[in-house]
Amino acid sequence: MVKLKLVMFDSVLSTLYDPAPFYDEMFSAVGEPRPHYTVLRDHLQTITAEMLAERRRVADAAFLYQGITFTVYGQEQGIERIFPFDLMPRIIPHNEWDRIERGLAQRVTALNLFLHDIYHDQRILREKLIPSELVFSSRHFRREMMGLDVPKNRYVHVVGTDIVRGDDGEYYVLEDNLRSPSGVSYMLENRQVMKRIFADLFGRYDVEPIEHYPQELLNTLRSVAPHEYSDPTVVLLTPGIYNSAYFEHTFLARQMGIEIVEGRDLVAHQNKIYMRTTRGLKLVDVIYRRIDDDFLDPLAFKQDSELGVAGLLNAYRAGNVTIANSIGTGVADDKAIYAFTPEMIRFYLSEEPILNNVPTYLGWREKECDHILNNLDKLVVKAVNESGGYGMLVGPHASQSEREKFREHVQANPRNYIAQPTLALSCHPTILEGQLHGCHIDLRPYILYGDKVTIVPGGLTRVALRKGSLVVNSSQGGGSKDTWVLRD
Amino acid sequence: MLSRVAESLYWMARYIERAEDVTRLLAVNFNALLDAQPADARQGWESIVRINGDDDPLFAETYPEANSQSVIQYLFWEPLNPNSVVTCITRARENARGVREQISSEMWEAVNRLYFLTRNAERADALNNATQFFDLIRDRAQAIQGITSATMTHTEPYQFIQLGLYLERADKTARILDTKYMYLNRFLSSPSESSLQLITLLRSCSAFEPYRRSSAGQLDVESVVEYLLINHEFPRAVLFCLNRCQHTLEEIGEDTTVPTKSDAPRRMLGRLNADLEYLDIHEILGENMEPFLRRFLTRLNSIGDEIARTYFNTSIILPDERPRQQQQQQQ
Repeated sequence: MVKLKLVMFDSVLSTLYDPAPFYDEMFSAVGEPRPHYTVLRDHLQTITAEMLAERRRVADAAFLYQGITFTVYGQEQGIERIFPFDLMPRIIPHNEWDRIERGLAQRVTALNLFLHDIYHDQRILREKLIPSELVFSSRHFRREMMGLDVPKNRYVHVVGTDIVRGDDGEYYVLEDNLRSPSGVSYMLENRQVMKRIFADLFGRYDVEPIEHYPQELLNTLRSVAPHEYSDPTVVLLTPGIYNSAYFEHTFLARQMGIEIVEGRDLVAHQNKIYMRTTRGLKLVDVIYRRIDDDFLDPLAFKQDSELGVAGLLNAYRAGNVTIANSIGTGVADDKAIYAFTPEMIRFYLSEEPILNNVPTYLGWREKECDHILNNLDKLVVKAVNESGGYGMLVGPHASQSEREKFREHVQANPRNYIAQPTLALSCHPTILEGQLHGCHIDLRPYILYGDKVTIVPGGLTRVALRKGSLVVNSSQGGGSKDTWVLRD
Repeated sequence: MLSRVAESLYWMARYIERAEDVTRLLAVNFNALLDAQPADARQGWESIVRINGDDDPLFAETYPEANSQSVIQYLFWEPLNPNSVVTCITRARENARGVREQISSEMWEAVNRLYFLTRNAERADALNNATQFFDLIRDRAQAIQGITSATMTHTEPYQFIQLGLYLERADKTARILDTKYMYLNRFLSSPSESSLQLITLLRSCSAFEPYRRSSAGQLDVESVVEYLLINHEFPRAVLFCLNRCQHTLEEIGEDTTVPTKSDAPRRMLGRLNADLEYLDIHEILGENMEPFLRRFLTRLNSIGDEIARTYFNTSIILPDERPRQQQQQQQ
């Protein structure tokens, strides 16, 4: 047939794309799409190279026009880059999502109870289920939070949990992000772009919407206001224009219709927090902060911080302001503490975890440390408090000298490192240089926890845009896809 | 709105206006002084350097004499001069950057382009084609004002921009008048020279053609001064600008259910307006001009301070003998 020559992916889809040896989201075998991907496969077979180029162009223009960028650290001018976006959607059937959702809700509930416990009676430590030293030696454990009662006992209001699928087809939690998880703006913009370029496909799939995220976020923040006001004032506290995620801060603030402020716009007076406006001081009830604990209050934490508000901690102690997420939540996303999340679920909820952790070795335990050092070529070793893919060794991909250097780090400070087996992350067809390749992906759903747990279906699917690479972070060459959770 | 944002918008506008007005001053006088007698030219350039405040130690230290080269270098390019055109444009851009979310993307682009124009310009070329270059800068600055007016909603943020723009413009017209009036006195004996100077003065405020159309033939000191100070229709006349300022303060005041905590800026401005409105021009001619303008500039600076105190909560600077140009306070 003449049409065959013009079609972009026909041959690839039917014969060339070999998912093995990894679990592929779309194909169970060569030429055999999984049931929920059949429609997509059929649709792709009608797309020509021209059509694809056109859609690519529209997508790029949309991102550029919207200014959906992120700033790369370490650049003098603050180069703004478009976060690379892949046109192939990642599709999750309803029953799978259902389980993920329940597992996440369970997890977030337990983490929240853990935080409350750690900063109050510390029952879990007294039961010796988690070693005390591990908690107290965590860089993000904050003594200042001991005995401090937070509004509605909520510590974590916005959580980004990274989930991966192994080659056994099961989902695993890779890590929780309990401080200032970012990326939700990409999730929202990806959907907008997909609606533009694949409108016809949306007609053939029943996709759960996600646009209500900002409204849900606002509801969550309002629901944890310190007093029973009918109209609490919520603000977003940003470090400012030089922060790499600044775009997301302004995006969310605008979508929620709240004021975006910097530390210097706020002032503490009589243990209350106020905004400096042209009408005078305006009381602030809830601060959605995208600033690290260290910089929040120069009177309490880093003295030279110009990003925070002097006296914020006192206002927090007095119960006059809500800080979302609370101070000191990093102790629970410390990668060493992560290993104990199943224990937390059992202890606080008397339930078995619905979602499992990735098996984790703790440098803190001598025997496990030995195991790590003896298997550097097979493991992924991570510093417990880094993010963005930094402070990480991917054993199988590293050179001998890189491994030796890391060996020194681990030996110098074993408590600071954990290791996990190199997961065979699932792959997804991704367009690289005009061809479909299987690239490793993960999933970051965003969990909101105010008066109840709210999870917008799907989340950000991040994809490693270099062939064979396992690193999906934006700062290191990753990209993202739109995630479609199907209704029943 | 946030004080910081209001302040940034206000100063962005002030700095752009300042850049435009100084550029115009340089362009017009560069042209006019080309065929002046050397002694007159030097005096002319010396008086222009003082546009931003009394004898600047920095200028005297850096340049041996005041001529077209040194003054243009100092007033346009000098990074150490807080009031040079390039410094003003840089600061305007910094302010715009900090409030990028509150201005339209067209505005940001325009400010950015003006900034890169000065950054990338070859100084030698610019001096050789001074007039063209200055025209370009002036055009771009005016474009920013037009774009602002057309792309921002005319709510509180816009009012602060207008407030900054007109306050600065009133200040600048008064300063230009002050600078040139003294210089004018050298030529009182010669009517033709005198006319030439008056024309240059008018051109320095972009007022020559409007003036011609309005005052059919009369070109004397009294009429020109009156035009620049208390004309109601000419957009660079001091009174016109102050009336606009008053209007913006009223708009800002109305934009809320909670009254502003201090009415001082509006009242001070109202009084200044009234004094100017009912001014008897004869009372300020001759040797009374200089003290009058100095008092005026001092009062204008005080109003600027009061605006800062009321809306921006920033620290206050005390006015000088001959008041210096106000600068944005760092927080």
